[in-house]
Amino acid sequence: MPTVIVLDVSLSMSRPVVIPDCSEEYQRKHLAIHGINCFLDYLSSNFKLEFTSLLVFSFLWEQLVPFTRNYETIKSALNSVEEYNKTCIEAGLTGASSVVTEEWNSVTPSQVILVTDGRTGIGQRSLKNSLETWNQRENGDEKFPLPFKFPCKLHIMIISSPNDPDIKSSLPLFEKLIEINGQGGELCVPDNTLTLQSVEAMFTRIQEKFYQPYNGTLKCGNFKCSVQLFPPPDPYDLIQEFEEVHQQVSSNLEILGFIDIADIASPQALSRHLVLPLPNKDTKTSDSEVENKKEEEDAVQEEGKIPSFTVLLHGSLKVEGMVALTQVAENWYGILYSWADSKKKSNLMLSLLEPGPEPISWIGNIANLAPISDFTEPPYGEDDNKTPFPIRPAEKHSYAQSCVVWIKPSGLQADIQKVLRHARKLPEKHQQFYKELNRLRRAALSFGFLDLLEAMASMLDRECTMLPGSAHPDAALQLTHAANALRSESATDIAQMILPLRTNFNQDTS
Amino acid sequence: MLYPVEHKTVFVLDRGPQFARSCKQSIEYDVMSKTKTPGIIPAAPIMKSMWTCNVETMIEYMRIVFDIFSSKRLIRVVVGDETLNGWQQKDQNIQQVMLSLGQVGPPSSKSKEEENVIRGLTEAVQALCDPTEQQQEIDRDVIQNKGRIICLTSAKSESQMRAFEECVSDAIIQHNQLAEDSVSLLPISHCELVLVHVTPVGDETKITERQNREISSLLFGEVHVTQSAKFLYNKLIQLVQFHYGLSSTTVTGIPMKEEQNASSSANYDVELLHPSQAHDDIMKSAHSDGLVIPSKEGLPTETVTLKWCTPKSNVVELQYCTCAARITPVDVNSRPSSCLTNFLLSGRAVMLEQPRKSGTKVISHMLASHGGEIFIHSINTARSLLEDPPSISEGCGGRVTDYRINDFKEFMKENRLAPALPDMTSTGVSHMNRAKVHLERMSRFWPLVIGETIIFNMASHIDPLPTIIVKEKLDDEDVLECQKAIYHVVGMESRNEPLPTSSAGPRGKGPKRDEQYKQMWSELESLIRAHADTSPQHQRVLECLMKCKKPSDDVKSSPKKTKEEKMEVDPTAEQSYAWKELDRFQKMTEREKLEMNKAEGGASSVKKARLSMEETQFKTKAGACNLLSLWTDRIKSVHSKRHAEFSGRAQSDGNQAELYQNLTKQLQENAGLDASAPVQKGLGMQKKM
Repeated sequence: MPTVIVLDVSLSMSRPVVIPDCSEEYQRKHLAIHGINCFLDYLSSNFKLEFTSLLVFSFLWEQLVPFTRNYETIKSALNSVEEYNKTCIEAGLTGASSVVTEEWNSVTPSQVILVTDGRTGIGQRSLKNSLETWNQRENGDEKFPLPFKFPCKLHIMIISSPNDPDIKSSLPLFEKLIEINGQGGELCVPDNTLTLQSVEAMFTRIQEKFYQPYNGTLKCGNFKCSVQLFPPPDPYDLIQEFEEVHQQVSSNLEILGFIDIADIASPQALSRHLVLPLPNKDTKTSDSEVENKKEEEDAVQEEGKIPSFTVLLHGSLKVEGMVALTQVAENWYGILYSWADSKKKSNLMLSLLEPGPEPISWIGNIANLAPISDFTEPPYGEDDNKTPFPIRPAEKHSYAQSCVVWIKPSGLQADIQKVLRHARKLPEKHQQFYKELNRLRRAALSFGFLDLLEAMASMLDRECTMLPGSAHPDAALQLTHAANALRSESATDIAQMILPLRTNFNQDTS
Repeated sequence: MLYPVEHKTVFVLDRGPQFARSCKQSIEYDVMSKTKTPGIIPAAPIMKSMWTCNVETMIEYMRIVFDIFSSKRLIRVVVGDETLNGWQQKDQNIQQVMLSLGQVGPPSSKSKEEENVIRGLTEAVQALCDPTEQQQEIDRDVIQNKGRIICLTSAKSESQMRAFEECVSDAIIQHNQLAEDSVSLLPISHCELVLVHVTPVGDETKITERQNREISSLLFGEVHVTQSAKFLYNKLIQLVQFHYGLSSTTVTGIPMKEEQNASSSANYDVELLHPSQAHDDIMKSAHSDGLVIPSKEGLPTETVTLKWCTPKSNVVELQYCTCAARITPVDVNSRPSSCLTNFLLSGRAVMLEQPRKSGTKVISHMLASHGGEIFIHSINTARSLLEDPPSISEGCGGRVTDYRINDFKEFMKENRLAPALPDMTSTGVSHMNRAKVHLERMSRFWPLVIGETIIFNMASHIDPLPTIIVKEKLDDEDVLECQKAIYHVVGMESRNEPLPTSSAGPRGKGPKRDEQYKQMWSELESLIRAHADTSPQHQRVLECLMKCKKPSDDVKSSPKKTKEEKMEVDPTAEQSYAWKELDRFQKMTEREKLEMNKAEGGASSVKKARLSMEETQFKTKAGACNLLSLWTDRIKSVHSKRHAEFSGRAQSDGNQAELYQNLTKQLQENAGLDASAPVQKGLGMQKKM
């Protein structure tokens, strides 16, 4: 869940701030940086794996720090930001969109935190102007970056006093931005006055709402283990074809059973999450986590030595090449498996599948999966030599059966040649000949291609004249019979079949 | 809710006389005459009729839709007033439609004119009012019934085209009124009318194409103009891609033996269609990387080229796929297509690589078949969020090295899932809950590491007890097997055999042997007790264990708890137990008595010894397992099945008949003791003996 911090560095950010009871002189920029630093501190203690990038903008934009987990580099970059030009919010958003698209795939959910002073800029590239034209841009114009082309929340932090008259008019514009993006996010304004504390509180709000680690319990029968998922799974809200789905991963991840990797076969996944075991301290809850932090660090050594179910599960899944089918919410499933990164560091991973009863078509409806102990005949065979998967669809697809397509001449030629090949080997290929002939005839009737019947008949006639002297007498009889049948009245009746001619030669065999 | 318009499509085929005309494009069908074999009379050239072109193009449209959407997108075909198939699943296949078309037959050049299209369009509107199976499952009040009508026709004039549109518009209003009052019909809330005006190849036309526009609040219409044959096909392929959001991928460089010359191989390309989602990621840069080219099959569409990577091994890996979508080849019967599909259907997977001129190899897609369906999987190529994660060995429990991996492998295998068979569905309990229940039962007593367990390290000694006890139902034979296993361990203890404890355990040097046995017994008890409630048979196994188990273990560790447990196990039998024992002892033959006394001073059974609560020295009692008593117990239980129940026991409240009732009374009177007296008294008596 990468985060892009988009910091406004236009000149207006260096306006001084009058803070009551404070002798030091601050600029808005300083307050913004203070807020961002608090946020980074929070990440490094609670959200260590979050990739974060720093981008600054005024009239143009620049990525100062690429996506990193080393938040200190961002902090030091913040110390040296300079002021530039006038504000252009659109430039900042374009920058954010561009760096995320560049680095991550289109399904990685990300968050953009825009930090600005609430000035919307002036002139052609002002926010007001951007919003007036955002959905009427011609092909040649630069496209408006919102809505983002990837799942992304947009948070806007206004470093300004809420009572500033300018803000009153610009807030609706910022709200409009979040609305256009339509993927959630928050517009934050400091409470009451603009102080270090109120800015900090604003960032805390975002942290608490959008950067909460997921803590839950992994269950497998009587095995239980507290785990953290990273990144925390997002709620799933999607308007599907026939229903609206709003789902949230529950705090209980319950294993339903196991399936071989070969059977599950690389299904489509919504997202992947590392499953990190948490120490099994009975009463420890997330509220007291901060206080417990120190103890925890001391205890790390100890924790490594206390057996954990996740480690056992991971090891076994890895060795056996299996996945654990896991229920993460009502009607929502995922698979747990061992995953190794390029450095061969192994980890337990949860892939969330599309919510719904049948997320993988070749596994079928999850509710229809039964434990193998319920079967009278073992579905995997006595010696584990077969598998009940994949589920086969009722209908075969066109490429798995011989369908007739004559749109290109080559398709028709191939089908005619097939008949003729068998015709030349009469009477041995008797059955195949009539089978192919009837297939061709049926298709011709379905397509209303009646001319083909006559054409085929004359080709059979021609074959007949070309029969070598050594040919079996039955061959000529059958060819003439078939040609006549194609020309007969009943040839256009699709319910009829052309039946082989019963002759003295084939009576015994047929 | 989206209620996609492409959920329902109705094709209307114009069966007017103009479609009996030739499409004016002759077909090469006589391969022989080209070989210039002497004496061959070349076959007369033939042409498809415009009807034939319409039908086969429509069938191709349907083939693509059915292959890719497998029952999610439905198509009906209307000819004149006749609807050839229904919305039901059984009707949604090409064979069904082909058969009906064969029965309908091509139009004749003398057939009646316009009427047939007007009637067909009205029929199509009615077909859209019929609910599909999926729509029937949704609340009528919220559903939006949308659909598309594609009409392949040939209009005389623009005004006739407009007449068609008006006809549909009126029909919708009329049918919606009908549907309002009907339970079985759904009113149409949105309809798209695609009129395709077809002319013979090379003919001029007066009809102009028209973009999609609103005809009424419910109807949107567009007009396409095309020549027949190949042009019509191109038009419909373009439309099917647009209507269903499909994209094209061309797999390039497929090595294939040449048809004529099997020893040499050449590279072929195959173009596939699939939902556009499979290209979501690649399209970010596909244009700039030159991956997008005009279709190699000559379609008026674009395709993304991806290079075939010859599979190296059959090892199945779990790929992180952001999309898995069904495909269908554009030219399904061509040799390269069928080679590719057959290869995939045989179970092999093919990775597809982006053909880049420089930089590293990027594998972005995979083709694989699952259950006879071929899918294109998009493999994640972007940077992973989970880059450089902490290894599991660095986290909680990561330092532990003696996890019971092998045992858990078995556990996983036994808890695999399989699709339930139709005859299993009537059990009432959902399969998923059955699976959860099974996991629960299998994991009731399951130590995580080798160092924490003894019984699971001595499989050869206690098998098959651990596998039997977790079963849902036990038969008598299972119980016997378990009992045998328990007796076996008793035997081991009596012979003072070493137990296979892991010396690598966290307790450092191995504990003393008697300590080990103590641990072993308590483990075994935990295991069996965890299942004792499952059935009376399980209870019997527990009873057997409790009889055999060394008593003082529990007594020493937590006497109070043991007592409670005991009561729980055997509340009624406890009091009269001593009496029963005494009784049994008296019934023994002299020889048995002798042996028993020899083995263990006075205590006739383990159970009793435990009750005495005096014994702390169980070293001396090592022989106390008293195989003999156990054996006779068992023999008795076997015999008891074969004879009539002793009437005294049959009348008593508990399982046992109380003998010498007078004696009890007397004793109680004498001593004035509480309810536990008989037990102690019994012991006292026995001691004297």
